[in-house]
Amino acid sequence: MSKGLLRRVIRGGLLLVVVLFFLFPMFWVLLMSFQTNQDILRTPPSLTFTPTISNYVALISGEIQTSVGTLPVYYMKNLWNSAFLSACAVAMSLVLGVPAAYAFARFKFRLGEDIAFTLLSFRFAPPILVLLPLQLYFQDIGLYDTYLGLVWVYQLITLPLILWIVRGYFEDISPDIEHAYRLDGHSWFRSMWKIAIPLARPGIAAAGLLAFIFAWNSFIFALVLGSSDVQPVTVGSLAFMTASGIQYGTIAASLVLSVIPTLVLALYTQRYLVEGLSLGAVKG
Amino acid sequence: MSSRKQKDLIEAYYQNKIGRRELIQRMAKIGVGAAATGFLLNATATRTLAAGGPDFKKFKGKSIKLLMNKHPYLDALVKNLDNFKSMTGLNVTYDVFPEDVYFDKVTTALASKGSQYDAFMTGAYQTWKYGPARQIVDLNQFIKDPKVTSASYNWNDVTTGLRASDAWDGKAGSELGGPGAKQWAIPWGFELNNIAYNKRILGELGIEPPKNLPDLIEKAAKVSAAGKGYYGVGVRGSRSWATIHPGFLSAYANYGQKDFVVKGGKLKPAMNTKESKEFHKMWIDMIQRGGPKNWPTYTWYEVGNDLGAGNSAMIFDADILGYFQNSGTKEAGNLVYLPFAANPSADKPTPNVWIWSLAMSQFSKMKEAAWFFIQWATGTENCTFGAVNADLVDPVRDSVWKVPEFQTRLEKSYPGYLNQFQKSIGQSKIYFTPQQLFPEFTTDWAAMLQQMYAKQIPVDEGLDKLAAGLERKLREVGI
Amino acid sequence: MADVEIAMSAGAKRRGISFQRALPYLLSLPALLVCIGILIPFVTAIIYSLQRYNLAFPDSRAFIWFGNFVSLAKDPAFWHTVVVSLEYTALTVGVELLLGLGIALLLEKRNWVNDAISVLLILPLMVAPAIAALMWKLMTNPNFGVLSYLVSLAGVQDFKWGSSPDSAMFTVVLVDTWVYTPFITILLLAGLRALPKQPFEAAELDGVPRTFVFFRITLPMLTPYILTASLFRMLDSMQQFDIIYSMTQGGPGDTLTVFQVQAYLEAFSFSNIGRSAALVIVLWAITYALSTVFIKNWLKLRARAHGAT
Repeated sequence: MSKGLLRRVIRGGLLLVVVLFFLFPMFWVLLMSFQTNQDILRTPPSLTFTPTISNYVALISGEIQTSVGTLPVYYMKNLWNSAFLSACAVAMSLVLGVPAAYAFARFKFRLGEDIAFTLLSFRFAPPILVLLPLQLYFQDIGLYDTYLGLVWVYQLITLPLILWIVRGYFEDISPDIEHAYRLDGHSWFRSMWKIAIPLARPGIAAAGLLAFIFAWNSFIFALVLGSSDVQPVTVGSLAFMTASGIQYGTIAASLVLSVIPTLVLALYTQRYLVEGLSLGAVKG
Repeated sequence: MSSRKQKDLIEAYYQNKIGRRELIQRMAKIGVGAAATGFLLNATATRTLAAGGPDFKKFKGKSIKLLMNKHPYLDALVKNLDNFKSMTGLNVTYDVFPEDVYFDKVTTALASKGSQYDAFMTGAYQTWKYGPARQIVDLNQFIKDPKVTSASYNWNDVTTGLRASDAWDGKAGSELGGPGAKQWAIPWGFELNNIAYNKRILGELGIEPPKNLPDLIEKAAKVSAAGKGYYGVGVRGSRSWATIHPGFLSAYANYGQKDFVVKGGKLKPAMNTKESKEFHKMWIDMIQRGGPKNWPTYTWYEVGNDLGAGNSAMIFDADILGYFQNSGTKEAGNLVYLPFAANPSADKPTPNVWIWSLAMSQFSKMKEAAWFFIQWATGTENCTFGAVNADLVDPVRDSVWKVPEFQTRLEKSYPGYLNQFQKSIGQSKIYFTPQQLFPEFTTDWAAMLQQMYAKQIPVDEGLDKLAAGLERKLREVGI
Repeated sequence: MADVEIAMSAGAKRRGISFQRALPYLLSLPALLVCIGILIPFVTAIIYSLQRYNLAFPDSRAFIWFGNFVSLAKDPAFWHTVVVSLEYTALTVGVELLLGLGIALLLEKRNWVNDAISVLLILPLMVAPAIAALMWKLMTNPNFGVLSYLVSLAGVQDFKWGSSPDSAMFTVVLVDTWVYTPFITILLLAGLRALPKQPFEAAELDGVPRTFVFFRITLPMLTPYILTASLFRMLDSMQQFDIIYSMTQGGPGDTLTVFQVQAYLEAFSFSNIGRSAALVIVLWAITYALSTVFIKNWLKLRARAHGAT
């Protein structure tokens, strides 16, 4: 076997192992979502079973049949909350963060690095650090149980990430085009809006996607700072563990559903993803 | 319209003095048909409590909001909620949180001093923090006030041990329900801890149900050693109070052991006595030889699931855990319930109890309305309805246990359940010593159990270390 | 660093130089203000950490200044928390970095297979860590869990996963790796694809061996990316809560009592606000120190890399 072929085989084999490791659990959960509880709890586990879509039906229709009767299910509301909160948080971070990133990249100003570091340092704040006091006076400032309050707190997660990645990308883009544009008499705003941002689209898309994912996955902020109305899927998925038994099939189905919105977003931005994460690349 | 005789009959029914069949028979005798009886029943249901004195329609049109755990009790409540709404004209909304995060949600909601929740579900242990923190209301003021509590509320119908267990005067070490105790919550549904076993598995292996703890240990080991893929007895093992509270403490108390003793007005840890050490050794031995393989991660769910799926032969946990596993699962119909006195020299079981109760937030702006709700939810009518038509088990009221329909339902599908209750209820209460550091202590105790199970530390040394650590924490806070 | 000269347009000259000076502040301040709003809780948390503040003992709330910190320093459990948190961070960042780099190298070439796999590999990242832990708990259930079954087929009976002190750390690091390696992979993949071609072409022409190329050319140029990835992962791992709490609540015994798990228990189970605040302040201080080191190095490397252009 030639050296090249051997190398290709090894490479393929390694890739296969990697794919198996990362995707097998998702595949298994997908399988579980089509099984009834009794099938799932079989010892030992087996691949043969009669598929059912009752778990999905339960989630989407809002009602689940259990041994204690028909119970309401609020999962679709949780999905909507997650999507809404994450999207708004990312949108807010983009509006705040992209101009700031532009400023850090294009302008050398006193305190520039300090402000940038401060903004990044908000990522260091452990959620509980923020929650201990906030749980006590979020009420008083009237933000308890509001989408606005949560979106604001989510900035802790999304803003530093977007700032850091988009700044690197802006720095990567040569300012020459913008110089030329400005010399033609256009303002800095048009220069940023019409030239820099479109050029930085990959970076912005990548940062936005990552920020969306991290916001989507957050658990503790909504739990402490909101009522049932605003709970995201991370809390909602736990609702299928009840005193009368765990609905494993439904949990699996809820997991599958929870991944779909982010997956759609990822597919949409995927061509930008890898390109967008190149930061401050060395130009050759 | 209904005559006085009809009214009396229906009220007798709602007071559990007569059963439904008798009601229908006697109604027929005075000329009221079954359908008409049913109609009158529904109409009167809401008037029973109302007939007792208070002006229940006082807050007509207003709203109260509840914070609830996702639990079958809540489902039972919701089924009957319309009756409450028509009785009071109140609008009732509720927030539901999954049990895994429920208690933390209550803690943070109360800590925030917010007024958005008026009443909520809780256990007794949690009130040992909320009470001293002045976050919940002492409900004695409402119970004793005839202007807000109906004469037919019948507070004494609630089992004595349960009423007492939800009451504490706030001084570490005081007896629960003693003089000066504040009623922090009203019992709503409870669980006592006994054995539920799978008669199919024990039958296959030719094993008789266990009589006491040493017997249980041997039999559980025998089941696990049979090599058929199931193990002997399921008990909880997670790093939390929920591991100490069920079977463990019930057996511990049966051996006459205590968690703390009071010396000179201060609490002193008592889990490192010679007898306690012996007990711990037995308990760990039981888990190692006959318990679940992943015991340190076992919670209520795993223990129940294993029983229902046929992976374990017995559980020593809440009776209602076994109850729920007897329908809709693989082993449904095979489960039997057993009163269990762990100590061979004890003649009666001493089960520790968990009482799901209703408490009122100190920051509520609708306290009286919230009391109407609590009163109704824990009243005879709702409790009976829940027990007979839904899964509000175990009922906290003595009269409900005597309702024929309820007894029949139990006897038919849950063999031994009624018996284990009757043999245990007289000794059922909370055996913990009340103090504000309950979660810290039980978490430390559970963590120490885990270390002893994993053989990271010998039992004697571990318990001494635990006691010393707890004593230090007690001194730090002055109790 | 890309040198920037602000080209003054005619309009700008009219508006004056001061506007130009103020502009960057105007652009970045809204972001700063929003985050400053979060600074208020931070100050409050510091105040709590200086108090004896337990909700169940409302009458003994008082300033004890550094009392909480001293109490922590004297508590062996606290030092255990520090050790476990650092251990967890080192393991997760180390494993994920190596694995992520390896996978990125495998996927470096652009073809449809590699592109498809790159997208699929983001899937674990999209699962919330709390839910991922739940999922892994189901899979590692000794009775019906598929992983336990597969492992038993390989001859290892009764692998304890999260139930044994010996394997608990392994189990949570495994889950963390599963969730977060894709994050590092895409970051490093982006880096690899963005590297300039010349050095590699030159090396190939000169017949330089591949390992040399990798260690002396690829790695140094990738360092900014590696640092960025490690920084974010390190921050998250030091603060890890969801995965560990969902799997074992810090157990078995004291094996996994990392900072935020302990702080959460202190605050929400034990209602000991003062002590919990002290814990998170210490955590914050540690992460701050570590990050400063990282970022200083990052800036230095970027400056050097750009200077080399």
